[in-house]
Amino acid sequence: MSSKQNFAVNEKRDAPQARPAPLPWRHWLGVGPFFLFAFLFIFLPSLSLFIGAFQDASGAFTLKNFADLSRPEIVDAYWVTIRISLVTAVGGGLLGFAMAYGVTLGGLPAWVRTALSTFSGVASNFAGVPLAFAFIATLGRTGMVTLILKLVFGLNLYDKGFSLYSFWGLSLTYLYFQFPLMVLIITPALDGLRREWREAAENLGATSWTYWRRVALPILTPSILGAMILLFGNAFGAYATALSLTGGFINLVTIVIGSQIKGDILHNVGLGYAMAFGMVIIMATMMTLYYLLRRRSERWLRP
Amino acid sequence: MAFLTLTDISKYFGGVAAVERFNLDVEKGEFVSFLGPSGCGKTTTLRMIAGFELPSSGTILLDSEDVTYKAPNQRNVGMVFQSYALFPNLTVGQNIGFGLQVRKENEAVIKARVDEMLGLIHLEQHQNKYPYQLSGGQQQRVALARALAIQPRVLLLDEPLSALDAKIRVELRLEIRRIQQALGITTVYVTHDQEEALSLSDRVVVMSQGRMEQVGTPFEIYNYPRTQFVAQFVGQLNLLPITGLDLAAETCLLAGQTVQFEHHQSRQLSEAPRLAIRPEEFRLGALEGCNVLSGRVETVMFLGAVVRLRVEVGGLLFSADLFNERNITPPRVGEQIEISFPVHACWLT
Repeated sequence: MSSKQNFAVNEKRDAPQARPAPLPWRHWLGVGPFFLFAFLFIFLPSLSLFIGAFQDASGAFTLKNFADLSRPEIVDAYWVTIRISLVTAVGGGLLGFAMAYGVTLGGLPAWVRTALSTFSGVASNFAGVPLAFAFIATLGRTGMVTLILKLVFGLNLYDKGFSLYSFWGLSLTYLYFQFPLMVLIITPALDGLRREWREAAENLGATSWTYWRRVALPILTPSILGAMILLFGNAFGAYATALSLTGGFINLVTIVIGSQIKGDILHNVGLGYAMAFGMVIIMATMMTLYYLLRRRSERWLRP
Repeated sequence: MAFLTLTDISKYFGGVAAVERFNLDVEKGEFVSFLGPSGCGKTTTLRMIAGFELPSSGTILLDSEDVTYKAPNQRNVGMVFQSYALFPNLTVGQNIGFGLQVRKENEAVIKARVDEMLGLIHLEQHQNKYPYQLSGGQQQRVALARALAIQPRVLLLDEPLSALDAKIRVELRLEIRRIQQALGITTVYVTHDQEEALSLSDRVVVMSQGRMEQVGTPFEIYNYPRTQFVAQFVGQLNLLPITGLDLAAETCLLAGQTVQFEHHQSRQLSEAPRLAIRPEEFRLGALEGCNVLSGRVETVMFLGAVVRLRVEVGGLLFSADLFNERNITPPRVGEQIEISFPVHACWLT
């Protein structure tokens, strides 16, 4: 037998395994609370949203709520929210990637990684009123950093056009929880880049740039994009931080929904539901993209 | 002049010597294996040849060119890694052609070379598959083709078969040797598997604790080990305490039974000299002109081609390997037997 035939016989991929027997019901008990929570706090509210979006104030069926989504102030709310989500997803993504790179492949001391990951774990969950207050206390008109810059360096941020209560101020505030989230998500992906890939590339004549362009970045791209999509979703759904910081001055979708559902002047629950439904569609699209990208990178990296 | 020359190469990691004063000349087209246990410095030496580690001292000449401090991407040395290290985002064809693309070869040259390499490793039909769609053996052959595609001056293989199962390992071993001989490429192979090293190599370098213990052909390494480490690491070895040593008469007592040896084969003797005999030197029965020992069979292990006995002689236990033959009945456990070995087959250490 030739060696070629030998390989053909001996190197067949493992045959597909027989379908496993169904698990006994008690094996599902552990994840029972998850399904219960998902049913009570995701499925039921979504169903309620979906139904409410097609009802008017009297409970009758209507498509007017969806038609109202094209009103200029609603379109503007979506547009501002998408812009702020994009800016903070890309900005936080790049910043977080650079930091994660520094502590994984950048040769920094191990304690820097420990410190960064601890900080990221805390900061990625630090949002809402406390975060808004922290930024007002530091970068508000009379914030500590603002005053130090003004008194010590003669730089008055607010005279230069900066305002914490503007689009860019809010974006800066969002970055505080966006880049740590990126650090947490992308660090394992960077750890997954095997040293042998770099060495193999160098051994074949590649420079560091060629290695990153042809190997590392294509491998990381699904993870980077996936992580940025998560950041986008994270910013898109943020409510308390923006409301606390700007008091509704910036027309975000979440703030408008809040006004429609519980506001005195703009009260229109049906429109609020329709807007929330629109958010669900956008978030679901983001999650689907994230899933597809993650599946692609996982397939490549299958052991 | 040798094609690859390592002169007084040493490598220290934080004051700890990984490799010390390593000297080696490799001829063009030669297949040399570094053999040794984990941590003996064989991979570090290979990585210094590849340029992934810089020597603490010494020089590396490749085709008369000093490459000691050259970057890995300027050496034109091909390397195959234990873990394949195929780029997961590229197809088989793209992996093989990677080095040529980096060199900015034109597409026609790349395609021709990729096709040639695929033919060499018998994977023509897998060109468009991704690494995850291949078996371990197939991935390692692609890694070999990728390393060869750039027509390297030296091919380095770092335990390339360790991650594969036994049968594939043997087959791929033969493939590597066939391809190496067909291309006449100078090859350095790192392994801790003595069978691999002995079966593949023109010469074997046995290493221990960062030092070169012995360099020689597989025949020399196995049959004429220069140090006790080599004798024990390469193949099986019985080391049996002796008494009544008479160097003039070239005799000693092994568990009270007289044994004759050839002193010129002996190594530098330790304070408590021992007799060294390989298990396969034993034969059942009392053979004329041989040393004969009487003992009791403690265990019998059937290993396929070999039947391994553990024999007790006056309180000493040793292994004896008998070639399996269908028409003989191996001794039974507890049986008293006589067992012989030639005078020239043992030495003192």
